[in-house]
Amino acid sequence: MSRLAIIGLDCADPVLLAELLPELPTLRRLVDEGSFSRLRSVDPPITIPAWMSMMTGKDPGELGVYGFRNRKDHTYDGLGIASSASFREEPIWETLGRQGHRSILLGIPGTFPPRPIAGSLVSGFLAPSTEATYTFPASLASDIKDWVGEYDLDVRGFRTDDKAWLVDQVRSMTRKRFTVARRLLERAPWDLFAMVEIGPDRIHHGLWAHHDASHRKHDPASPFTGALTDYYRLLDDEIANLLELLPSSTRVLIVSDHGVQPMEGGIGINEWLVAEGHLTLKGTIPEGSRMQDLIREGRVDWSRTIAWGEGGYYGRLFLNLAGREPRGTVPLRDVEEVKSELASKLESIRDENGRPIGTRVLRPERVYARVNGIPPDLIVYFGDLRWRSIGTVGWDRIHFHENDTGPDDANHAPFGIYISSPADETAEDRSILEIRDVVLDHFGTGGRNG
Amino acid sequence: MAEEKSVRIPPDLASAVEEHLDALGADSLQELVVTVLTDHLRRLGHLSAYTEEEEAEVERRLRDLGYVD
Repeated sequence: MSRLAIIGLDCADPVLLAELLPELPTLRRLVDEGSFSRLRSVDPPITIPAWMSMMTGKDPGELGVYGFRNRKDHTYDGLGIASSASFREEPIWETLGRQGHRSILLGIPGTFPPRPIAGSLVSGFLAPSTEATYTFPASLASDIKDWVGEYDLDVRGFRTDDKAWLVDQVRSMTRKRFTVARRLLERAPWDLFAMVEIGPDRIHHGLWAHHDASHRKHDPASPFTGALTDYYRLLDDEIANLLELLPSSTRVLIVSDHGVQPMEGGIGINEWLVAEGHLTLKGTIPEGSRMQDLIREGRVDWSRTIAWGEGGYYGRLFLNLAGREPRGTVPLRDVEEVKSELASKLESIRDENGRPIGTRVLRPERVYARVNGIPPDLIVYFGDLRWRSIGTVGWDRIHFHENDTGPDDANHAPFGIYISSPADETAEDRSILEIRDVVLDHFGTGGRNG
Repeated sequence: MAEEKSVRIPPDLASAVEEHLDALGADSLQELVVTVLTDHLRRLGHLSAYTEEEEAEVERRLRDLGYVD
């Protein structure tokens, strides 16, 4: 039985990769010897839940995890950060562990706190720090310290105008992660190796405008126009070093959780609800106030509110439903009508110059096989994700061209990458939900996702 | 600081675990028992994945990263 290695590059995009392949000898060789296609992400195409959808074969509705932060109950402020305990469906490595296969996991979002596995695990960037128990076994953390010194779970403070610092930090983080990967591969026997490098995502968000000549903020004189390509060269080198440690019979998959596209700006989801009379706030609201703070401070007049929203790379909209929320106003019989009206209005939002932006509104019950947990009532892709959702209020406008949390050039796109060496059985686009079965088929363990 | 508690594990079970510790990924029977119990309680919702301070720190980072507001 040959081994299988999954190298995850968060946010790696098929169009970008095709453009950069001539500069990337290792990835080009894998593509030439194998296959390269697009990998359709889930809705929403966000790191959490996308990586765990890949590893479990279940969509976010089935997982009951719709983003990094989810409603724990129907109170207005009951939110919780997704953790490994949020995912009840069996990931690949647990299925393989029951079959006697050993896994090495490194940096996969959704694996903190570490759960016991047959093999070893280094949590992803949702570990609060390396002071927490972020590995299994716990003793692995001190080995990592010996190998690389202070291990970087992520880049701290990546929303910065100091691009030289950012590039340096991301490159250093990536080198350390691949050093740890190599040491883990040498350390103990394994059957499945799966890692996620978060660096591409951080570079894209921080430097996309410097790379993409079509970006509205692009400056051809920027000293960082080549920084993104240089970073991919580094990645290519690191992948080459890693591949040298793999037996030649190892099947290699290079995958990503979503792609990237330029960010045009942001739409103030709660500002829009206020302007439309669907959300009522009390008193004068300071610029940039967070909804969660206003909710906790009692500054929302729930008796005159039918919906509120959350920001992020996509928008989440919740109805203030009678009998469900503590002070709900929307009667159950009106839910469909209210959702349809809100969706229609949201999809007709234009930019500040009156041009359509192509917003799409999704309904969880229509896009998921099942709906577990507490989903948003509507999922909003402003400008089909070319505009982010701004949840803060007090701005007195709905259009933004700077993020409310700092510089950010990019948003997510629905297709990631799927490179397989040897070649995959199909040259067609794959779904992220199929990867689990690709892996299980490789090991001959069956267990078709059903 | 509360005292750690001891539990008694049947010798056959302890031996079986210790024999397979390497495959189980744990360094010791003690570590495996603590990790499995902790994980079980977390999945039942009786134990938080994060302390309050940790959750606040992760939420702050997620805001900085643009994932939440």
